[in-house]
Amino acid sequence: MIQTDTQRADERDTVPLSTRRSFWGAVMANGAYGSATGLLFKSQRRQFLLLASVPILWILFANVGPILQMVRISFLDSYPPMAGYQPQLTLSNWNNFFAESIFIVPYFRTLAYSVVFTVATLIITYPVAYFLAKHVKRSNQLLFLLLLLIPFWVGEIVRTYAIMILLGNNGAVNLVLKSLGLIERPIPFMYTSFSLGVGIVYLTALYMLLPLYSALEKIPNTYLEAAADLGAGAWTRFRRVTLPLSKEGIASGCTLVFLISTGYYAAPVLLGGPSTTVFAETIAGFFHVAGDQWPTGAAFSTIMLISALAITGVFLKLMGRSGRGLMQ
Amino acid sequence: MSRNTRILMSVIYWAFVVYLFVPLVLMVTMGFKDSKFIGFPIRGWTLDWYSEIFRSAEVLGAFGYTMAIALSTTFLSLVIGTWIAAFLGPHKFRGKLLVFALACMPAVIPGIISAISLRIYIQFLQIDTGMAAIILGHTIHNVPFVALVVMARLATLPKSHIEAARDLGADQLVAFSRVTLPYLKPALIGAGVFCMLLSFDDFVRSFFLGSYQPTLPVLIFAKLRSGMSPEINAISTVVLVITAILGIWAERSMRRMNKGTSV
Amino acid sequence: MSHDAQTIVHIENMTKRFGNVAAVDGLDLKIRAGEFVTFLGPSGCGKTTTLRVLGGFEIPTEGRIILDGADVTRLPPNRRNVNMVFQDYALFPHMTVGQNIAFGLELKGKTKAEIDARTRELLEFLQLGGFRDRTPDQLSGGQRQRVALARALAPDPKLLLLDEPLGALDAKLRGQVQVELKDIQKRTGKTFVFVTHDQEEALTMSDRIIVMNGGKVEQDGTPEDLYFRPQSRFVAEFIGETNLISGTVRGMENGSVLINWNGVDIHGAAHGHRPTEGSKVTASLRLENVLCHPQKPANSNAIEGRVVNRLFKGSRTSVDIRVGDTGEGALLKAYLDPGDASRIRDDRLWVNWDVSHLSILQA
Repeated sequence: MIQTDTQRADERDTVPLSTRRSFWGAVMANGAYGSATGLLFKSQRRQFLLLASVPILWILFANVGPILQMVRISFLDSYPPMAGYQPQLTLSNWNNFFAESIFIVPYFRTLAYSVVFTVATLIITYPVAYFLAKHVKRSNQLLFLLLLLIPFWVGEIVRTYAIMILLGNNGAVNLVLKSLGLIERPIPFMYTSFSLGVGIVYLTALYMLLPLYSALEKIPNTYLEAAADLGAGAWTRFRRVTLPLSKEGIASGCTLVFLISTGYYAAPVLLGGPSTTVFAETIAGFFHVAGDQWPTGAAFSTIMLISALAITGVFLKLMGRSGRGLMQ
Repeated sequence: MSRNTRILMSVIYWAFVVYLFVPLVLMVTMGFKDSKFIGFPIRGWTLDWYSEIFRSAEVLGAFGYTMAIALSTTFLSLVIGTWIAAFLGPHKFRGKLLVFALACMPAVIPGIISAISLRIYIQFLQIDTGMAAIILGHTIHNVPFVALVVMARLATLPKSHIEAARDLGADQLVAFSRVTLPYLKPALIGAGVFCMLLSFDDFVRSFFLGSYQPTLPVLIFAKLRSGMSPEINAISTVVLVITAILGIWAERSMRRMNKGTSV
Repeated sequence: MSHDAQTIVHIENMTKRFGNVAAVDGLDLKIRAGEFVTFLGPSGCGKTTTLRVLGGFEIPTEGRIILDGADVTRLPPNRRNVNMVFQDYALFPHMTVGQNIAFGLELKGKTKAEIDARTRELLEFLQLGGFRDRTPDQLSGGQRQRVALARALAPDPKLLLLDEPLGALDAKLRGQVQVELKDIQKRTGKTFVFVTHDQEEALTMSDRIIVMNGGKVEQDGTPEDLYFRPQSRFVAEFIGETNLISGTVRGMENGSVLINWNGVDIHGAAHGHRPTEGSKVTASLRLENVLCHPQKPANSNAIEGRVVNRLFKGSRTSVDIRVGDTGEGALLKAYLDPGDASRIRDDRLWVNWDVSHLSILQA
């Protein structure tokens, strides 16, 4: 049995082998393939258009389309379309925003929270990034960085839940405080801006940490040594050398964290309470609870998007760079 | 830097590590607690929650659904992202910066706005909420990441390699499949696993684009809204283990890529 | 179309512009089958562009490329029977040596048996026998260079293009590879078109050198032509070290040209042109062609000179000689053998040269 198998395999391999073309040779020799590619690759211009077609169409369809639709809907008086009714153009969705404080307050709250959380994330992660970049041996840096990366692969929901367990009335923090005799009754951390802050910082820290780390890692130690040699103390070295040279990292980190934290929905729902309602919850409400108020939701989303982009734009301008390097 | 600041720095680093890990450790621990009530004290241990979720049609269904979405999303994102990278990477043309910015846009748009605009968009395209809508949404979100990773790798491919292939008789397509693609392999593996992670973890898009069948994060969210339970911990722990494995795999393949295989 | 059996490539009045800059400007030349031709020049002279036009990587702005009688001007690289050895070798890192060599054969639709036989033959020929299953990163620089050569030779091209393939090798290895490469070219009988900025490399290997500058041909000839009979100041200066002698033509004498060089009468040769009497000319005289004599040689028109500067260079001594007893500018560089150097007294010596070695440059 085994022998026959081997023999057959031998025959299969040896006999046709010598007369067979390789796969790619056969492809190239195929007439249909030849004429198809001949047509497609006829000129450099045609090759360029062919290569550009899918990316351009995709970007228009997938990246620009949804935003344009959202903006369009925000000017309609009803959407999704109802049978037999032609939607009319209106500005009332936009006016809603200014009409009621239950809309404006979450809006400003979101922006304020995002700024505060961004600054908090920066302050917390800067020393961590600095330690990693300047005090850990280069060969160990990847390992130390990996240690920080692992929790960030876990999704938003699972990590939010983990914070809920940490901060709950019967959670670890209260347990520790109680066993130390510092408190008698648990402190109600949950459903406050504190729990929301802890959660958001937990969720976004990586987006701050990585740009900071890569900026700090690029600063040659000789710069700091030169500064020390010229008589600069630790604080002066930090303020006059390290901080300015890590500006790029600070700018991209803050931009990312700010944009991301304005967009969280699940974390505020799970960690926050009635006094911490953010704009994301307001927007979502128009799509879930209130029936067909999509146009208002679309208008509010657009307001949020424009505000977030405008604020990051101004911020980047103030930091003295264009948004150009952001994605690098 | 003085000795004291150095020590202070390392204390901050390790405190940060503790901050990152303690919540997760707690969450995993609670999944083994022999009580329906989440919190301290813990009086007994059990594996019941795990055996329960592995028998739960709801959980297994959500897992399969999430996996199917993640795999399809990854495939689509790799194809489109690589195509965009192949276009934007080596070519110079007017308006390239604008095209590049638009290509990256979905990666930086705040989550809720991305989800809402997609919800409106699928209505406009007359795609029902559900799997197709989620796959579309995830793909839109993931493509920029693939494009960026592949572009970074492509930038290190010497132009002469493609020219050598052309010189030896390969047309553009054959040169791409036989030289460019193998060269991109580590980047594609890394970006692919990263896409799996993003899709597997995504909540906000899956939540707004999904129908009755929930993905795992949406299922956890729904269960959380009706109260914490060790069952949720067990599900979350499974998710955590899967994502950690995927993450380490992605990290390893990206490392290998950075070490470089070019000659 | 002018085409004779000997010509393998005819570059017909070819111009290649990038934007407004003409990298190659009206190049017109024929390359004969079996020749080892080198394009030599400084960077930006158009030599690499010419090579890339031959390879099909650039389409000329004007003119045509006739390869073995057929117009290939607009054919892409994969559809012309020309192969190239790249400067960085461009070996595919994910393929073994064997797979790299087989690549072009596969795409030509050869059968597996043919591919196998040809690969073996080339591995053997280039002494790469044991390396078939290695990947390029397991090879030394010289081995990679040979694999690149084997890969380019495998599809049996009509023309082999080599783009500074020795640039990445260290100086010691380079000399050895030059000899090997010349030998391989002789044994295969292939037409090699070689591009380099290294004049020594060009002189060592080539049957014919085309010196380019600013997109145009400065001179086209054998290594000896270029070295001893440069036609332009650029060629004279670019290749080797030389004395550039400026003077006024006084007339012809026994077939040689008589030049007044800062008051000293000297004889030189005009190769292929006739300078008019009274015109100002520049001539080139190689340092090693200046013959130095400690005593005045009998029956010769040697000129007396005085050594004003000596530089000891080991096997020989480089000297600056003030010639004649008049002008300030009559300075000549020359080499002295150790024996002569020790026999010179009071720094006095006599110099002369073979008239044909003092080559009068065109314009």
